[in-house]
Amino acid sequence: MDDLDRELGPHGAAEDCHDSSDDNSSKGGKKLKCPVVNPIFCLGERYSVCVCVCSYYMKTFLTIIWRITTEILHHHPNSTMDDYNNVYERMKHSGVRHHLMICLEHAFHLLLHGRTEDAKLQLSAAESWRHGKESAAQHQRTKLIQAYRSLLDYAIWCDKKLTSSNNHFDSDDNQGMQNNFRQASVNLKETLKNPGVWDPFILSYVDMLEFYEDHEEALKILNEYAYDNSFPPNPNAHVYLYQYLKRHNASEKKLIRVLKILHALVPSHELMLDYSAFLLDSENKKDIEKAFGVILEMLDFTCWRTNMDIWKCLKAIIQKLQIQEDWENVVCEKMAARKDWWPALHFTSFQASKDLEENPELWEVKASLAKVLCPNQTLKYTAERITNGKWT
Amino acid sequence: MDYKFPEQLFPSFYNLGPPDSVSGFYAGSWGSYDRVRPQGGSGRLSSWTLTAKHQPRGESWRHTEPAPVPLLSPRKDLENQRTALTSASVGFVHIQMENFFLDHCYDAFGCMSDLLGEKFDFSGNKKTHRRSDSVQMGHVKRFLHRMNFKICQQSYESVKMKRYSLLMPDVVHVVPPQLLGSLLHEELTDRRDGLLFPEGTTGGALAFVPFSPQSDARRGCLVYPGHQGLDRLHFHKVALQHRRGSSSSVDADGSPFSFQLKGSIRQISCSSLSPECCVGVRSDYFCGVWKFSERNEPRLLQVVETSEVATCINVSPHILGEVLVASESGAVKLWTVGKGMQAVRTEDANLYFNAKSPWRWCEFSAHPRVMLYADRTGVELTDVRTNPASSHTLFRISSAAECRSGERLVLSRYLGDAHSFHHLVTTQYSAYIMDERFPGVPMLKWDHMMESPPMSCHVVPGSSPSGSGEERTTKVLLGSHFSQEITMLQYSGGRAEACSSRGPPQALLRPRESLKHLPVQIPHRLDTATNRLSSPAAGLTCIQKKSGGDECLCVLQLTAAGDIFYQILEPEQPDAETSRPPAAEDEPQHQQAASAEQLPPELVVADTSSDEDVIGPTQCVQRVVPETPERSPMLSMDSEDSELESKSRYLKRLALQVVVNNEPELDRGSDLEASVKESGNVAEDVAEDAEEPNRVEGTVNGSSRAVPPRRRSPVKLSSSSLVTWKHWLQKLMHVSCDRKSHSQHFQVQTEGLLQLSNRQASEKEHVQSLREDLKSCMSRRSLLVDGVASAPLRAPDVVPLPNQVDEEAWTDRLSRRLTVSWQGEEAWRSWWKEELGMNREEKMQALRRKRRKEKEAKRAAGGRLKLTGSFTSSVSYQSALDDLSDLSGWSSATSQMGWSDREGRRMSSQVDDFWENATPSTAQNAALTPTPTVTPTATPTTTPQKAKDGRGDQQTPSRPPTFSSSQKQTSYPTPTGPRRNKRSADEYLNSLFASQV
Repeated sequence: MDDLDRELGPHGAAEDCHDSSDDNSSKGGKKLKCPVVNPIFCLGERYSVCVCVCSYYMKTFLTIIWRITTEILHHHPNSTMDDYNNVYERMKHSGVRHHLMICLEHAFHLLLHGRTEDAKLQLSAAESWRHGKESAAQHQRTKLIQAYRSLLDYAIWCDKKLTSSNNHFDSDDNQGMQNNFRQASVNLKETLKNPGVWDPFILSYVDMLEFYEDHEEALKILNEYAYDNSFPPNPNAHVYLYQYLKRHNASEKKLIRVLKILHALVPSHELMLDYSAFLLDSENKKDIEKAFGVILEMLDFTCWRTNMDIWKCLKAIIQKLQIQEDWENVVCEKMAARKDWWPALHFTSFQASKDLEENPELWEVKASLAKVLCPNQTLKYTAERITNGKWT
Repeated sequence: MDYKFPEQLFPSFYNLGPPDSVSGFYAGSWGSYDRVRPQGGSGRLSSWTLTAKHQPRGESWRHTEPAPVPLLSPRKDLENQRTALTSASVGFVHIQMENFFLDHCYDAFGCMSDLLGEKFDFSGNKKTHRRSDSVQMGHVKRFLHRMNFKICQQSYESVKMKRYSLLMPDVVHVVPPQLLGSLLHEELTDRRDGLLFPEGTTGGALAFVPFSPQSDARRGCLVYPGHQGLDRLHFHKVALQHRRGSSSSVDADGSPFSFQLKGSIRQISCSSLSPECCVGVRSDYFCGVWKFSERNEPRLLQVVETSEVATCINVSPHILGEVLVASESGAVKLWTVGKGMQAVRTEDANLYFNAKSPWRWCEFSAHPRVMLYADRTGVELTDVRTNPASSHTLFRISSAAECRSGERLVLSRYLGDAHSFHHLVTTQYSAYIMDERFPGVPMLKWDHMMESPPMSCHVVPGSSPSGSGEERTTKVLLGSHFSQEITMLQYSGGRAEACSSRGPPQALLRPRESLKHLPVQIPHRLDTATNRLSSPAAGLTCIQKKSGGDECLCVLQLTAAGDIFYQILEPEQPDAETSRPPAAEDEPQHQQAASAEQLPPELVVADTSSDEDVIGPTQCVQRVVPETPERSPMLSMDSEDSELESKSRYLKRLALQVVVNNEPELDRGSDLEASVKESGNVAEDVAEDAEEPNRVEGTVNGSSRAVPPRRRSPVKLSSSSLVTWKHWLQKLMHVSCDRKSHSQHFQVQTEGLLQLSNRQASEKEHVQSLREDLKSCMSRRSLLVDGVASAPLRAPDVVPLPNQVDEEAWTDRLSRRLTVSWQGEEAWRSWWKEELGMNREEKMQALRRKRRKEKEAKRAAGGRLKLTGSFTSSVSYQSALDDLSDLSGWSSATSQMGWSDREGRRMSSQVDDFWENATPSTAQNAALTPTPTVTPTATPTTTPQKAKDGRGDQQTPSRPPTFSSSQKQTSYPTPTGPRRNKRSADEYLNSLFASQV
């Protein structure tokens, strides 16, 4: 008996009894009839030790039990929704530490299986759940739960919006939508203040704000999301801002400013085609040079190398540049940093044969540009090598 | 499409700062969805679809074989240092110091030997150079010569040497042993750590370059290190032979094109910019670049020597001939082959915190002039174009990536093949997918759950659903060093959709676990094979075949011993699982059988003979033993057998179904047993050589039929793989035998010590003839019957038996007892009873009965009762009693009507001695008895008789006694000694028997 006591001692001492001896765990502990815990009841009346030991076991193994159980259910051919609910509910009530996480996972499971209403109930219940002193992780989870609940509010709001636009204007619907909007916006606004990646939430919040024509708030949210330094450099933040501005016919200058910052962040972004188009439109000599630089930079990246549009765009820019007198200097200046590796990157004999085979038009465009871009170099980007058929 | 950035990413918090120091239990990311995000939102609620970040279901890939198959025949490797160096204990340090003293004796004792050398004479020749002032050291020379051998220190100890070592232990060493010991211990500890986690091998030294990747990646060139110490670079053309349902293999025909290098190869980096391919090879201080194509032989372009240990080499996927090299000083250089090197970045310290690690890593990225620079703390993207290079963080060990405290970066890899903006970053716990367009936030995170950190990786690009065929996930294969693990992770997305992981991590097969799938090995071979197979992994690559339905992945793994193993994975076809009839499942078996049938039988025979040549004559003899490892694969290679086997499997399945379904009420356990038995019988009727484990597996499958059966990986190696394994193991034994013969042993001549003079010739002849018999038997596939072989051998061995012992001639008590004891325990027991006089009363009663009968007979005859008659009868009774107990030898004592106490004590002490020395079991008696003629076979037959007799004796007292007690007392005054002893002796005996029985 003493040995057992000694063995159990460290566990009991290591665990903070007062923190863990909540109703759930003590109840669960006494109910438990697993062989690991059974010898503990030989300890006689020392139930406080039992509780400590049980809660230790629970804490340690609860997560792994939950994870393995759900993983098994995921792969079990005959698992039903009831099984899942059973597991999630049981696990939720047998420990404090992971309660919110399990709630969230439960809601996700319901959502993924199309049971939006149940998921919303779950999230609402979890939202109001509190226990003890809130840790940072717990706080973030609560925020996440609120945000997901708001996302579901938005979904319902969208649903109502569609019905009301189909039918005639209904005051009840309007009232419901207002309610949903209010509920969603409070939480979303709160969540979006935290640094993070909030793409789905931002989109839904902005959509609702746009509907109620609160442009100021929408713009503020989007600007904060894109330009707040505590946020990660999310390219989508700039894309959303650009798209919003474009939807509301903002001035070209504003659009270019957004794209310029995006260009600094992600020079290979799709929107750089728009950027170069804007720059070309301005007819400013500097801007054409800038557009030339933007397109060249895009072509540095692997993913744009065989893109027809971008080569055509480059050709157009060069044609525009060629109107100027000192166009050769401009090209030389931009190509100076690239001249030692661009030929190997774009204008090899193998690429010539490949382009000719796959896209002769691209080959034509590239071949015409090759001499312009690398004027003093002997390039192998010709059609002749292919007729020989021999690769070196 | 790589230029598309996901429109919506999964929501997450962005926490800056060091990772949380929440220690304790970590359960990985099993079973969770992590996050969901809406797809195609803003429509009706019902049209909302959600996607999870961790999707529970991925593609399921199935092994075609239960064990990896060796690709090349084994070559010699260096002695396995791993086991030796994993223990840096004090005792081990002593051994190392001893080696140092022997191998570098001048460094160890140089100074003192210069001083003492003048006075010492090592010539050993006493007579020629006799100088008065020199010390003869001939015995030292002999002692040192003996050090070359492994000898018993006790039997060859030298008293003189002991005296020397006592005299001058503190003067002869150049470096004091204590200091040397501590330094050596430190060094060994470092080495051990290096072996457990060798930073140098990061990246892996195995690469596969497919020829013409557009069409099919079945043919290509495998680049791998070979030779002892992995210092020879091989370029080997290989082809993947795969047809769904039939056996797959990797052909490595022809001899490889190879280059001898100066150091062992640590990393091989390949990039194929078709048609040319560039191979960068890194050893500790040298980096080299080779170029080759399908038509051109490999050609060395340039080699550079680094001043510091090189830790990384990477060949550019963008521009042919550009290579990045990182070394331990923290310098990363861009090496344009033929043009020179350009320093890209130099860091003295670690990036984000002091991780005390000199390890550096570098990779290319989506932009040809933006490099990735990594150390244990994080990854930075460095723009080479500006000077000084500008850089920004791509990944760091922080809470932004939800790292755990103590987590360190182990490997980084540019996933250009799969997605031009993606990078894989692995730590000892997790694997991260980073998008360089959105630095700082991992797009995806897995817990790879590997035992040891992943050191090499290979990515298998997936395909989008818009492309030809169905959608395929991108697969990331992670390989660890020490534990040989390969883990496959799957993910999809990264373009228009955000990345999401698919399914749990899947562990692939390890070479060290393959022995259990092979036929049982002889212990000493098992040791060699286990050691060889468990040498740590050194590289990983993959051959992908993606033509239509014939898709497969072939994963190749290099071990530090220089062996390459491959395993082939096929996608599991969900529709085939359920709809396929059982007969169809056997199709491959039949096909296999058919293909085996096509093989000319001569090929097999030639095969074995060649193997015998390899192994040598001793292995020849072993082949007859049924457990011999190579025998069973040979059997299954036979066409008839394999056909039978497939049939039997089919029948087994049928039998199982019947048994399980017809008797549902039966107890589960017995049901299972019965089915095993029955299926076994059926199987045995059809094919006698069906294996046991297979049978049991079949039963288990059958009994769990209630659940829809998932197709599992096969439990048995195919015959072709078994043959490959067999050849590999044989070659390995040959190679390791060769090595053993080189090691020196101290040899003592034992020839002729324990041999009889004239028997040698005949013995040899006989063994020769026996071998011939054996060979002929093997060719006839008959048994080596006793009469054929053993009779001539047995004949000279007949030992003349000693003469038969005449039992009657030995009449003393001991001999009688021993004779009796040969007849079994009962006889022996009754003898003792008689000897101790315990059955006297019974005998007396028997005699009385006899006498009464005689009297009655006389009376019935009508004779008158005479006084003399009665008198004589009493005398005759006495004599009859004597006659009866005559044999016992006890009677003499009885007839003397007295037993002295001394005698009784002597008797009992005799009994005690007897019990101490011998036990009445027949085996013991057989050992004791001097009469070998009494055959032990007699014992079981006699025992029941005696037992019967014993019962008869016991029955006698049940008859009513007819004599009066007074008569008994007067006629037979029982001696006090035996009477007193009787009861105790009886108990004593009983207790002894009890202990015996």
